[in-house]
Amino acid sequence: MLTPLLAFVLILAALTFTPLNAAAGPLDSPGALKSMVCSACHGFAGNSPGNTVPIIAGMAPSYFKKAIKDYAEGKRPSPEMEPYSKYVLQVGLDEVADYFAVQPRQPARTKSDPNAVKRGAALAGQCAACHGPKGEGDAFRAMPSIQGQPAGYLQLQLTTLKENKRKLDDAAQDETKKTMLKPLTEADLGALAAYFSSLK
Amino acid sequence: MKTLTRREFLKASGMGVALLGTSGVTSFAAEAKRRVVVIGGGWGGATAAKYIRLSDSSIDVTLLEPNKEFISCPFSNLVLSGVESLQNLTMNYNGLRKHGVRIRHEAATAIDADKKRVRVGKDYLEYDRLVVSPGIDFQWDQVEGLAQAKDSVLHAWKAGPQTIQLAKQLQSMKDGGVVVMTVPPVAYRCPPGPYERASLIAWYLQTKKPKSKLIVLDANKDIVSKTGLFKAVFKDYSNLDYRPAQKVEKIDVGAKEVTTEPGDKVKYDVINLIPPQRAAAIAVEADLVGGDKRWCEVDHVTYESVKQKNIHVVGDSTIGLPVPKSGNVANAMGKICAAAVVHLLKGKEPPVIPPGNTCYSWVNDKEAIAVVNSYKIENGKVVQIEQKLTPGKSVGTAQNSLAWRASIWNDVLG
Repeated sequence: MLTPLLAFVLILAALTFTPLNAAAGPLDSPGALKSMVCSACHGFAGNSPGNTVPIIAGMAPSYFKKAIKDYAEGKRPSPEMEPYSKYVLQVGLDEVADYFAVQPRQPARTKSDPNAVKRGAALAGQCAACHGPKGEGDAFRAMPSIQGQPAGYLQLQLTTLKENKRKLDDAAQDETKKTMLKPLTEADLGALAAYFSSLK
Repeated sequence: MKTLTRREFLKASGMGVALLGTSGVTSFAAEAKRRVVVIGGGWGGATAAKYIRLSDSSIDVTLLEPNKEFISCPFSNLVLSGVESLQNLTMNYNGLRKHGVRIRHEAATAIDADKKRVRVGKDYLEYDRLVVSPGIDFQWDQVEGLAQAKDSVLHAWKAGPQTIQLAKQLQSMKDGGVVVMTVPPVAYRCPPGPYERASLIAWYLQTKKPKSKLIVLDANKDIVSKTGLFKAVFKDYSNLDYRPAQKVEKIDVGAKEVTTEPGDKVKYDVINLIPPQRAAAIAVEADLVGGDKRWCEVDHVTYESVKQKNIHVVGDSTIGLPVPKSGNVANAMGKICAAAVVHLLKGKEPPVIPPGNTCYSWVNDKEAIAVVNSYKIENGKVVQIEQKLTPGKSVGTAQNSLAWRASIWNDVLG
């Protein structure tokens, strides 16, 4: 039988523990709700399983915000991201950026060809100056982490940068990028993409 | 004072699980476990069921879906051209079970809105909130002769056995044959779908049966979606005869002939007749459809029916939002509706979240085109922010569609 005293203790215990439990839901933040449509293409919590769509989990907010603004202004061409960047600006850029920034990042699920990875490693030295020795990026300079991104996405970006359809804001950096990418063939770009995709 | 047993107390307070030291119970005030029933395990319903559980695992969610497997309609046109297999488009519901969704592979036969319950066989399932995502039914009676011939005249507009049958009919047709496909009047499931299918059948015939041709009889005055892009694609296919404003009125399977509204008679060797559509019968019978008797009008923020309280409708059976009847939109509606249902069950204001649409159409064995729409909510209504089309067909867009499917199938079912 349950005494009134025991009932009181149980209620007290419930009140004490409930808030801890309630905070645990994966969608319990305004940023999570505002980011819900993104998972159609970018995977749950930004861990894209596809080869051509970037992983945005764990992305530095500084770079996330820059990317969204660049897509919205048409500086980065993408029929998919131009409308959705305006969606993000509409619902709240800061909250969406902060939501993805704290999501644990999983490495790309697509596998790279080991020979391409080896060739890419030999070509990758010049990328390290900006993107870091392991492609980890530099949030302070809004330099993206390219480590463990899907290879298809990295190759598409390299091609777009090489063809000058995507320019860098800093003129000197843009010149460096052009000089570096000019001698590289499509196969070289594929090898670089495979290498950085394979890094964890 | 009546004393309760410990079991009675725990049951009455809804706290049993929490007091045993496991997580998942969020509200002390809940007097009983809140129940949601979801009718239909397609893109909208499966997503809604999963996301309700993701948002609040204390809610009891039952999904009613007669089919044991989920078959993706997107990409099924590629099965007709022999580029994709139906097996690759077929998935099970185990992912939803892992989220704690109870799945009953049975059909809901009626909704009793007053008593807040759903009829399943001889049972009734009670709900606090109901999500209806039943998809579309065909209006066989709109085409003379179709109701009697509906087992042999294929629509292949719900991916499954008919998709395989239509692919076989195309394969076994003699070279020099005529394929006729008909496009229903708007509104129908997947606006660009018929034109993607036309492109892919034309590609197949051009590649495998070069003396054959495809006649497309469109009930609409022009190509309904991605108009400019499909017009450019159709120029690649000299075997494709596109005829707008040709609503099919009658089919004569003996004579292998269809008659259109202007009175034209067109002979065929293989027919693919996509009939006019409306919301599935259960939505019509539950009085969820509007004055048109075809589609369900909903609140643009919560997806609650404007006609019945505590019943939400998502997916292709809805109308009134400026969004297409696409898998991507159904997925978005499922998530947004899930958030609304969870908030409403807690007595909270539902969040205001607009949908989005990403829609790819393959046009041959390697290339695709796309349209993307983003939306906002203004004065409680969904309003388009922007629509963007790909500049033309490309291999890159086709690759993006494969990334999309890997992601969204997992979002719906994983």
